[in-house]
Amino acid sequence: MAEIPKPKVGFYGFTGCAGDLLTILHCEDELLDIFNAVDIRSFLMASSDVHDDEELDIAFVEGSITTDHQLESLKGIRKRSKVLVAIGSCACFGGPQAARLGCGDWEERFKKVYGEVKHTIARPRESYPLDEYVKVDYCIPGCPIDKHQFFFALTRLAKGMPVELTTFPVCAECKWNENECLLLKGELCLGPVTAGGCNSRCPNHGLPCIGCWGPTKEANVASEISLLKERNFSSEEIVNKLRLFGGAAMVRRFADLLGIKTEEPAGKPRQKKVRKPVAAGKAKKKTASKSPKAKSGRKR
Amino acid sequence: MSLNRIKIESLARVEGHGGITVNFKDGKLSKVTVDIYEGPRLLETIAVGRIPSEVVSLTCRICAICTISHRYASLRAMEKALEIEIPPKVHLMRELMHCGEMIESNALHVFLLALPDYLGYPSAVHMVPDHAEDVQAGLRVKKFGVKLMELTSARPIHGENPVIGGFGKYPSKAELLRFKYEAESLIPDAERGVEILRNLRQPTYMEEGMTFMCIKPEHDRYGWVGDRILVSTGEEFNAWDYRKLTNERVVPHSMAKRSRFQDKPYFVGALARFNLLGERLDGAAGEHFRRCYNLSWIRNPMYNNVAQAIEIVWALEEVPRIVDKLVAYEEDPEIVAPSRDRGAGSAAVEAPRGTLYHHYEIADGKVIHADIVTPTAQFLDMMEEHIRVAAENLVKEGDTEGVELKLEMIARAYDPCISCATHLVKVRGLDK
Repeated sequence: MAEIPKPKVGFYGFTGCAGDLLTILHCEDELLDIFNAVDIRSFLMASSDVHDDEELDIAFVEGSITTDHQLESLKGIRKRSKVLVAIGSCACFGGPQAARLGCGDWEERFKKVYGEVKHTIARPRESYPLDEYVKVDYCIPGCPIDKHQFFFALTRLAKGMPVELTTFPVCAECKWNENECLLLKGELCLGPVTAGGCNSRCPNHGLPCIGCWGPTKEANVASEISLLKERNFSSEEIVNKLRLFGGAAMVRRFADLLGIKTEEPAGKPRQKKVRKPVAAGKAKKKTASKSPKAKSGRKR
Repeated sequence: MSLNRIKIESLARVEGHGGITVNFKDGKLSKVTVDIYEGPRLLETIAVGRIPSEVVSLTCRICAICTISHRYASLRAMEKALEIEIPPKVHLMRELMHCGEMIESNALHVFLLALPDYLGYPSAVHMVPDHAEDVQAGLRVKKFGVKLMELTSARPIHGENPVIGGFGKYPSKAELLRFKYEAESLIPDAERGVEILRNLRQPTYMEEGMTFMCIKPEHDRYGWVGDRILVSTGEEFNAWDYRKLTNERVVPHSMAKRSRFQDKPYFVGALARFNLLGERLDGAAGEHFRRCYNLSWIRNPMYNNVAQAIEIVWALEEVPRIVDKLVAYEEDPEIVAPSRDRGAGSAAVEAPRGTLYHHYEIADGKVIHADIVTPTAQFLDMMEEHIRVAAENLVKEGDTEGVELKLEMIARAYDPCISCATHLVKVRGLDK
């Protein structure tokens, strides 16, 4: 039997903490197997053996887009890749650096930080997730991602199969772990609206969910807000919490509920509309979990 | 040969996105820049207007590799601002989580990122066929560090268990003891790293005198936390006077701000700690230090790799000492509540790659000002200087074959964390 060629895979990082790629490097027991099972063409953080002009079967991309240069690289990766997977909250939602999307104060904040120095190396822009600019086939959320969900996605994609990601919220996992409900104890817990898959780590430690995996697909944010208001939390407290890791998802899906006035223009340098017309108006589909039908019959 | 420019577009095997440009004019070196293209995040502006606990969750996200150091520094700064006294058990738990990160980060750097250069491979994975045992030893040590971070902080990266005033939950005695025994069993693996590096010849073409800085521990042992900063000039500063030490400025070729002390570049990191505090190292780590130390350590940044390798040994020896003290406490302390809702606090901790400062000002329970100075931003000028000296010497000697790799090796020896460096910000009173 002819040997099946290993899928060509690239790992890329844009703006963020590098925690998603580091999560992959932290898979000590599986790391060498991963590197053997697929043909890694680019993983700059781990290896100087980089081939960045080749066609890829799968590209895993972490981080949000915050410079023009990154935007160009992202488009290049998209063009070269059959499947593009966003990994982590920054790539999926824009990250905590997108917590003020829609506030229209990015330029002012940039000046406060860097003053009037004109940078010669990269034209900066406000943080947006990958799917603002290119088609993203799957979003694996997490801050950082959970390695099991990553393995699951990698092994399925390596065999040309669709990926079904976690669809339940943290709240469900928390119940399975038989934790005492922190909402009932009067804490500001985002477990009901946050994408699960972390095994409810914070509530397991008696700490409320901070929402770092972003909103789950069917998040009932309206109900969460009214529930929290009944417990005497102010709108400001609730909105701050939801927006810390909710990034573009909050702006696109819950702007009215959160009192976010405008989606545009968040940093001026933003171009007209780079994303393809197919994606326009369907912003809502970008969520923690993707419908498996998004991919079908990808074969090598 | 005629050489106009050496450009390394993308530094590999470092955290974040940076490059090196060396320009020549009429055969003479004219300019060296370490370019940082990492995109800006303006995280401190996101911090303004938020409650302290959210800001702790936010600022640890500056960096995945040093997440514990960021969290530790921000907790200490917040607790100073809010006048919170933490109980001894909390202090011990924090020391333990800090050991986890030092082991994880140093092992990642020494075994997986730096060693391939010395042995001539593009990555640790490429080393496996010839050096399987060395790579496996490194992976075992790193894995233990990651597990220790998970035990103490609830997740390998960005664990939320350490909170202002204490911990959400404490590990059981049985778990702690298991980690103690595992730490002891891993010392030979860590020593393997020290031995490999000790027997390698360190390149010397970049040697140049340096100013070193690190934290002076509160006790008389080796350590990574305190409120005083030691400088190799013999001076000592309070951590809250960090601005006098770091003197930040913005440069066009870098999204990271730059630091100089008395108008000179300086070095922070394991090499600085060992040059200033090496005599305090005890146990096997102390013996390794005394065996490896030589006068080049004050001029040659490549020895940072050796210092990190020895530091892993020290941390593995420290884990059992901390566990023994921790298991003596029967009760888990409650999380200490703040005694006020306003104040200012600065704190320093040693991150694996050098001194890290967090400073916050709080009014009416909300952060109104945040300032973070990371180690990478502090040593970038020193790194540029060493690369300049190396490029000059290599070109003078006509030794320009593979010059890119030689310069990259210098950059990697610093163990830069470019994500961290990019988020330096000063923001005051930003209106919502």
